[in-house]
Amino acid sequence: MAKVDIKGINDNLVFVFSQGNAEEYMAILTKKFETTPQIFNGSPVLFQGEGLNALTQQDISALQRLCLDHGMFMHNVHNPARPAKAASDDLFIYRNLRSGQRLHSEGSMIIWGNVHESAEITAARDIIVLGRLEGIAHAGCYGDVTRSIFALNLAPKQIRIGDKISIVPANDSKQAQPEVAYVEDNNIFIRDYRPR
Amino acid sequence: MAKKNSDCQVIVVTSGKGGVGKTTAVANLSTGLAKQGYSVVVMDLDIGLKKLDLILGLENRVIYDIVQVIEGECTLRQALVKDKRFPELFMLPAAQTRNKDDITAEQVVEVCKELRPDFDFIFIDCPAGIEKGFQNAIAAADKAIVVTNPEVSAVRDADRIIGMLESADFRDIKLLVNRIRPDMVRRGDMLSIEDLIEHLCIELLGVVPEDSGVVISTNRGEPIILNDKSSAAQAFSNIVQRMQGIEVPFMTLQEDSFWGKLRRNLGFGR
Repeated sequence: MAKVDIKGINDNLVFVFSQGNAEEYMAILTKKFETTPQIFNGSPVLFQGEGLNALTQQDISALQRLCLDHGMFMHNVHNPARPAKAASDDLFIYRNLRSGQRLHSEGSMIIWGNVHESAEITAARDIIVLGRLEGIAHAGCYGDVTRSIFALNLAPKQIRIGDKISIVPANDSKQAQPEVAYVEDNNIFIRDYRPR
Repeated sequence: MAKKNSDCQVIVVTSGKGGVGKTTAVANLSTGLAKQGYSVVVMDLDIGLKKLDLILGLENRVIYDIVQVIEGECTLRQALVKDKRFPELFMLPAAQTRNKDDITAEQVVEVCKELRPDFDFIFIDCPAGIEKGFQNAIAAADKAIVVTNPEVSAVRDADRIIGMLESADFRDIKLLVNRIRPDMVRRGDMLSIEDLIEHLCIELLGVVPEDSGVVISTNRGEPIILNDKSSAAQAFSNIVQRMQGIEVPFMTLQEDSFWGKLRRNLGFGR
């Protein structure tokens, strides 16, 4: 007897398929989707179970399309127990970054050193450089414009926050002091750093 | 061959940018150390664009090259060219008709392993660039000397090279600043040593001033370090001393400005 168990794991809906054929699964899912559309609409879905082994690629595609048609989207990671982003995503670097070196952090990035010209750093959240920032820095690299870039000496070739890009004026030769770059009114601004 | 030390230092001389004076530095430092009685071998790894034989004035004595050693056409001993001035100095020539892809990093390591027991210093003359030739040259080395000129393009390349050396786990990386002109630095027209050190965050090995005598000595195939009167020779000699662990003060700009002032006062101002 064909069977599809539906579990909710970490905000995902996991469909567990067990012994059956494509037509049976289609019928079961269509019925479920139509009776309680509010559960399925907008939910990420992951397919699991031994029943999938008996299906062809076309069958699986058809099932996925059915889900998409009912407002779901496919979760392509097989491990539904993916934890929410933790603070440990922050990257701490205890050296200088040199020309041509490139680093990425899924959280914030804190560098105890200088970022030389033509080095590139990107972070999903904030960038803090406890030294001189001369390279290219991109904070909020997935589009988060509420992020900021801090450096003891902010002298980058280019800074990006979210989707905003700014280049620094060529003759900006003032004294080194801690500064913060942030986004306001769709523009990147730089101001002296003041503790909150 | 008389070896002074029990261990052997393998030093790669590199820069990223071409034309900054890698080969000149290799020729002068190796000659200087050989003059002090150390057994020294210089390996030219700029395969296809060899220059070291010319600068050492040994181009007529080259018979075999490193690629032939690696391919087994001759032995390592046969390929080593003895210097005409110092019996403790040898050169392993590069092949001019081949290219950098004809040897691998492992093969260079093997050659160095064979040379280590007989020498105090092995210098590797690295080609410009960051590709295969560079990777071959750094594979066998324990230490690195990064040569740069006081200009932004050379400094950027040096920075890149230092980063790559750090990634390759080099602990001992030192900077050699070549072709500095104290008069231009004083006028603020050239990066100063302080600027370079602050930017590159690396230990300074030596500063060699611009000296027109270098061109003459290169053309003659006689390393300038053998010419006592030249300022570049003095600078290279100081570096040779530092490489032996002797502390020598850097030739400072103050000294230069003192002489410059004197010259100006006496009416010989430039």
